[in-house]
Amino acid sequence: MLQLLLFNITNGLIIGAFYVLMALGLSLILNLSNVINFAHGGFLVVGGYIAYTITPYVGFWGALLIAPPLTAVIGLVTERVLIRPLYGRDPLYSLLLTFGLAFIFEDGTRFIWGAQGKPVTVPAVLAQPLSYEFFFITGYRLFMVATVAVAVTLLFVLLRYTRLGVRIRAGTLDLETVSALGVNVGMLRSLNFAAGIFLAGLSGVLAAGQLGLEPTMGAGLLMPSFIAIIVGGVGSLTGTLLGGLLIGVASGVTAVFLPAASEAIMYVMMAVVLLIRPRGLLGEEGMMT
Amino acid sequence: MSDRDSARKLIMLACIWAALVLAPYWMPPLGGYTALGTRVLVLGLAAMSVNFLLGFTGVLSFGHAAYFGLGAYGAGFALKFLAPSSPLSLLMGMLLGGVAGALLGTLLVRRRGVYFAMVTIAFGQVFYYIAFQWSSLTGGDDGLRGFSRQPLDFGLFSIDILSNANNFYYFVLVCFAIIVAVMSFILHSPFGRTMVAIRENERRARFLGIPVERHIWIAFTLSCFFMAFAGALYALLNNFADPKGLHFSQSGDFVMMAVMGGMRNFWGPLLGAAVFVVLQDYLSSVTVNWMSFVGMLFVLVVLFFPRGLLGVIRPKSDA
Amino acid sequence: MNLLEVQNVSKAFGSLIAVRDVSLSVKQGELRAVIGPNGAGKTTFFNLISGFLHPTSGSVVFDGRDVTALPAHERVKIGMARTFQITEIFPELTVHENVRIAVEVEAGYRLRPWISRSEAAEVKRRIDETLTLVGLTSKANRLVGELAHGDQRCAEIAMALALRPRLFLFDEPTAGMGDQETYEITQLVRRLHRDNNFTIILIEHDMRVVFHLADRITVLDQGRPLAEGTAQEIAANEAVQAAYLGKAA
Repeated sequence: MLQLLLFNITNGLIIGAFYVLMALGLSLILNLSNVINFAHGGFLVVGGYIAYTITPYVGFWGALLIAPPLTAVIGLVTERVLIRPLYGRDPLYSLLLTFGLAFIFEDGTRFIWGAQGKPVTVPAVLAQPLSYEFFFITGYRLFMVATVAVAVTLLFVLLRYTRLGVRIRAGTLDLETVSALGVNVGMLRSLNFAAGIFLAGLSGVLAAGQLGLEPTMGAGLLMPSFIAIIVGGVGSLTGTLLGGLLIGVASGVTAVFLPAASEAIMYVMMAVVLLIRPRGLLGEEGMMT
Repeated sequence: MSDRDSARKLIMLACIWAALVLAPYWMPPLGGYTALGTRVLVLGLAAMSVNFLLGFTGVLSFGHAAYFGLGAYGAGFALKFLAPSSPLSLLMGMLLGGVAGALLGTLLVRRRGVYFAMVTIAFGQVFYYIAFQWSSLTGGDDGLRGFSRQPLDFGLFSIDILSNANNFYYFVLVCFAIIVAVMSFILHSPFGRTMVAIRENERRARFLGIPVERHIWIAFTLSCFFMAFAGALYALLNNFADPKGLHFSQSGDFVMMAVMGGMRNFWGPLLGAAVFVVLQDYLSSVTVNWMSFVGMLFVLVVLFFPRGLLGVIRPKSDA
Repeated sequence: MNLLEVQNVSKAFGSLIAVRDVSLSVKQGELRAVIGPNGAGKTTFFNLISGFLHPTSGSVVFDGRDVTALPAHERVKIGMARTFQITEIFPELTVHENVRIAVEVEAGYRLRPWISRSEAAEVKRRIDETLTLVGLTSKANRLVGELAHGDQRCAEIAMALALRPRLFLFDEPTAGMGDQETYEITQLVRRLHRDNNFTIILIEHDMRVVFHLADRITVLDQGRPLAEGTAQEIAANEAVQAAYLGKAA
């Protein structure tokens, strides 16, 4: 029984790590620019497909290194051309725009790569399970967690110690003051957006190795990201990190007792948090808009 | 309001109703068909319900399709398991969606702005997920089937609304008229004016003594009831209810209809629905990639047409 | 009788103490000005009185009742009305519609789906009365967002008036106004005080306005109470002068 529980908690942490990666990108963009990027799942899928396309030429590791930045560039262009005009306006419009983008991405990937799912081959060294007993921890899943851990650490280091990072954090709290201090807010938002999309692209590459590729997979991964942010707390990246892990673990543990409810538990958690502590676990008071 | 304004409003109203009443006659010559008109009415009603919150209270509810879908399933359940009565199915659908909205609303109004939107979407997805998973009850991805709209029985005579498209159209039109009248009534009431106040300046509304969260909850609940009613009509239209009606992409469609038609105008969403439905109908018949086009439509409207068709005219407040 | 008694309120935002141990007592019918150099915590102090913020310590007692924990919209109901430094009005509605909402809420109609003809007539009468008092009758059907700054402020004051409050809180009512508009607003406030005997607390930067209107003046500096007294006492107070001059130097 205990082993089953451990199995599911570990499984949950692995899933949670993945949610964290997605949710952090979304949270970055949300906190600074007040934009819900509905197309985040779409960028994930694009990242995955790019990886799929270039793998024959540069191998899996090459794809891992190249696809995320490439996706980030696409994100940057998207932000500058389509989203920037909307910043001063009601957040409704950026919501609708990214919504439309999600449609375009889904259909676009279907158009370019076909509606069938694509298998992605993962280097053999990773595909091996670690041991017979812990057969479920394949090398790939560990690799995924490791990659997420590295990426998250880098993100937090970037935010803490680089000038860009400090500006992003300051901008999240008070963009007007940051602008008054002479920082180019437009550039800041663009770079921040690109960073978020980088994470989405990376998620896409990792997801491709784990789940295979399909034009519709982006949408399904969007909801857990939302919930991670709501549970973890508004305006707090650490909160999002915590939220993602929590819902992953909750999902894993629930699978032991009530397999059918393992997805529903996320929504229950969200409801509970909203009831007891509307700002989220690590959220800040007053960050309501 | 000046007399000229009142006269203009009256004429516009008369034109709208004339067009609606005579639709089964002017649509076919233009290449349309009555059922398409019925569809526009139903989806237009849904878009107007969303706009009750979006355009008039200024609240970013993006997960509203959930209540639409609940209304559809409610109507379906009523027809399948309760009684073969169309009006009853409408009532049941409306209650299911409305009560769900009232309950969820208590949790939802604790947030604002984009976070409110996120939470409404997430909660909406719960129902989608339930409808999908609980296939023994709801038919899962295949949807709820095995029911159809029943003739209206008035004792001495009955009206066949199942096989006669025109009859059904007028039935829906009557329902539409009733709900729209209620909506308009509320918007022109003191309560309706507090809704507009909240939209215009939430802080000022609070500092006039309006308990903002409570009023938003009431507006939310009302719009959920209207939405669920539209959903119930939709189930009757299709003789079918499916999870897609609950999905947040459906919500996005409704919001887009409201924006396209003009959010600050009472009739805007209906016009938006007409354009959207016709466009989607046309696009899906000529290309497989209609989804990209719909997406592009969203992008174009947002970037270049945010006030919508009826918003191009200087928006004087409707309240 | 003291209408408002604020006792030793403090407000801390983390390690930043915006208001430190400030007390204030205002009698019925008094016009009190709260002044002080920039950053003195005046608006935060107002936020504490009106319920926009909750104090870290201290109490607010209004008409004998402890309202420290009462939310903002409830304080409006018991008789506090407030204007903001940046005018808070409903920009896309007309002046008439702006005031109407205030009147309807005050009359208890905010949840009503319908009002009778006589009730509507009474509402209209009160709107007209309020607009006459602030001098906006001729502009009743203009959109507030399109009005000049001074008129917008008058509209905001009209809304506050329509609430039939016991206490007015005006946060820099003449902020950003030229001489003519400042004069008109000052005259309006004076009318409200002298002719209608309203109790008013006023934050102001413009000393002419302060000395023209105030019965008593409270001076804040860096969140702390510095002095309190009549206009003459404050004008002669060296600590006050130093606080202002010190800032300039």
